[in-house]
Amino acid sequence: MTISSIALTDNIRPLTEETALSVRHLSFYYGHKEALSDITLNIHRNCITAIMGPSGCGKSTLLRAMNRIYDLNPTHRASGEIMIDGTNILSPGIDILSLRKKIGMVFQKPTPFPMSIYDNIAFGIKLYEKLSRAEMAVRVEQALRAAALWDEVKDNLNASGNSLSGGQQQRLCIARTIAIKPDIILMDEPTSALDPIATQKIEELMVTLKEDYTIAIVTHNLQQAARISDYAAFLYMGHLIEFRDTPTLFSKPKHPQTADYLHGRFG
Amino acid sequence: MTQRTQSLTNWTVRGLTALSGLCVVVFTIAFAILLGYAAWPAFSSFGLHFLTNEAWNPVTDTFGALSSIYGTIISAAIALVLSFPVSIGIGFCLSEIMPRRLVLPIRSLIELLAGIPSLVYGLWGMYVLAPCFQTTLQPFLIKHLGHFAFIGQIFSGPPYGVGLLTAGIVLAIMILPFLTAIVVDLFQSVPRLMKESAYALGMTPWEVTRSISLPYIKQEIFSGAFLALGRALGETMAVTFVVGNAHRISTSLLAPATTISASIANEFNEATSDMHTSSLIALGFILLVSTFLALVISKCMAARAVKGRPA
Amino acid sequence: MNKNLLRIRKAKNAIATAIALTSVGLGVAILMVILYEIVTQGIAYITADTLTKTTPPPGGTGGLANSIVGSLIMVVMAMLIAIPTGVMGGVYLSEYQRRTRWGSVIRFCNDTLLSTPSICVGIFAYEMMVKPMHGFSGYAGAVALAMIAVPVILRTSESFLILVPDSLREAAAALGATKEQITLSIGFRAARSGILTGLLIALSRIMGETAPLLFTALNNQFWSLNLSHPMANLPSTIYQLAMSPYEEWHKLAWAGALLITSFVLGINLLSRYMNSYSQRAEK
Repeated sequence: MTISSIALTDNIRPLTEETALSVRHLSFYYGHKEALSDITLNIHRNCITAIMGPSGCGKSTLLRAMNRIYDLNPTHRASGEIMIDGTNILSPGIDILSLRKKIGMVFQKPTPFPMSIYDNIAFGIKLYEKLSRAEMAVRVEQALRAAALWDEVKDNLNASGNSLSGGQQQRLCIARTIAIKPDIILMDEPTSALDPIATQKIEELMVTLKEDYTIAIVTHNLQQAARISDYAAFLYMGHLIEFRDTPTLFSKPKHPQTADYLHGRFG
Repeated sequence: MTQRTQSLTNWTVRGLTALSGLCVVVFTIAFAILLGYAAWPAFSSFGLHFLTNEAWNPVTDTFGALSSIYGTIISAAIALVLSFPVSIGIGFCLSEIMPRRLVLPIRSLIELLAGIPSLVYGLWGMYVLAPCFQTTLQPFLIKHLGHFAFIGQIFSGPPYGVGLLTAGIVLAIMILPFLTAIVVDLFQSVPRLMKESAYALGMTPWEVTRSISLPYIKQEIFSGAFLALGRALGETMAVTFVVGNAHRISTSLLAPATTISASIANEFNEATSDMHTSSLIALGFILLVSTFLALVISKCMAARAVKGRPA
Repeated sequence: MNKNLLRIRKAKNAIATAIALTSVGLGVAILMVILYEIVTQGIAYITADTLTKTTPPPGGTGGLANSIVGSLIMVVMAMLIAIPTGVMGGVYLSEYQRRTRWGSVIRFCNDTLLSTPSICVGIFAYEMMVKPMHGFSGYAGAVALAMIAVPVILRTSESFLILVPDSLREAAAALGATKEQITLSIGFRAARSGILTGLLIALSRIMGETAPLLFTALNNQFWSLNLSHPMANLPSTIYQLAMSPYEEWHKLAWAGALLITSFVLGINLLSRYMNSYSQRAEK
């Protein structure tokens, strides 16, 4: 059984060609050290794009450039362009808060806020919309259903976010992110801290979510990338080595480095 | 080293260190007992009336702790009320706003305030702050707030410059570095990933602080506040210079008053009788119990905070 | 998305930021104001006279020499008592009683002593030493100061010894070293700079303490190196000078305040510098 034959996506629906986010000649620096070198790729709408590569190759850096979360550290800087809806989000005049409404992020470790499950979801919504209690309850339920968590927590919405299991907490974080209705969801190794069963649930969730959202996921798990992604990018030492649709990348990689990575010759 | 000298060394080290540990416990217990014993004459002759009597009369040999207790509590309360918000503001600023390389220098600067001895604060309070208050702050408060219904009572009377308000303000400056250090450390203990999730949702730095960081560290901040309260209650030299040293309770914060530590510092060496001395030591015993309580409450809150933390 | 909501949120953030910046400014400004006063009021009076003459008699002039010397003697003596007790106590807690009941008891007692007001310590030393000996003495003063220093030294010593990784201790044990050998040679060496920092902190703390000396060492106008009698000390002298009616004496009090503050802040900065130096050296 080759890697390419275990894909979850049916590929009955043709892959869209529309671009949700376009990275152009992106370079990234931690202080003086160059972490990313002239990256150009397109994230396609309503698809799952996997960003893979060995440790330290810059995949998380690339992801974190997309919602400018690196802004929190002044010595980190980016050059080049990231285009969303015709605007370069790396330009200095951009409203970061609006950007982060459009692009959501799920992190490696689940990070439920220190509040109840209900408030975790409501919190993000309240930042952007004024809703009545009834409307808010509806939105919270919607988000929890979309994250496949509703049935497990519906009787316990006032319980603390911390009382859930690891997998449930991560789904809570996903629910929190999609509650504010972003266009794009970035996921930085979302299942690396979870057990196999929780991982499977989240992977199934991601495949469902791509109907409504564009997803970019960083993963060090090749099988996961093969299972769920439509497009895959392979990064090595800050350079984009190869980027194409997943079945082709996995079965017929063009670059010898890609082939080496896929066959486990280096991690 | 031969076996014999080695075991001798072992025993010596073990013995001496155990002795030191024992000394600490013994001294603590001896402390409480000795102070209680020396305070007993006052407690036994005045009974509980000691705690409720405002009068402090060396001439008639009757003493009551109420005015000292009142002054201690009020000045400490003022200090906390003033310095707590400022320390939270500094904590917010240093953890979310200031560039990272400015954090340590600013923190060190504010902690320098902690290095200034209490005596020097007292000197500064008496010769700089009090005269300044006498000519600026106090007349201002009297003029603008003195004629209101209830608040007016708090700010009435002639501007002496000294008083509970002045003492409270000096205390606030003294506990500010202590509180700030605790608060800044606590802010830095909030998991980075949790804050990043909040930023990723599009929250502003203030929203992240108010809704995520502060609730996360809330119980430990209160634990630190009780610790700071304990310090403010026991502060002596700074307060002695600026509190006015009058065994009186008045509703005005601008009137001279006294605190437990100021009373002891001023009168101990000139005590007119054994009962006077015993009463002063009784004041000290009350102070000891209060700071002990503040410590215990602080520890309980800290312990509860750790328990409630996710694994 | 509600554009108005965004504007309000940003406005709230701006206001909070402004208030926070003001708080920082306030803290730094207060520090500057106080330091400025101390320096300007005191510097004029740091003269040769101040440093060589004894406490002025009523209405006369003098200096702080005997007070400085007396303070130094008592502080040194207090540290001589406190360092072995505190360090050994820290060793005991870190090496032998790290997770035991008795260890918790000791720690709790130490924390209690640490947060006890220094004036209560003064009363205790009075009851314990001055009354039985029927008189104030330098010994009582030194003991009172030691009682303030010990909890500080014990706590910092324990903290820094605990920071030494257990893997280091295990490696030494695997070679056949006894627990005491490990503590003395490895524990101390690794925690050395931290323990030293703790000593400096304790030193700076007791140098500025006044209350415990008020009824133990009292004060002494004249030159005296006799520890069994009242001993001159700088804080008590400053206190008396400041409370007096003479303007000249107030200036002398400021000079003394400048001296004490400089010493205390100097040691503070030294310990901070040492801390960062050792951290850099470890990297």
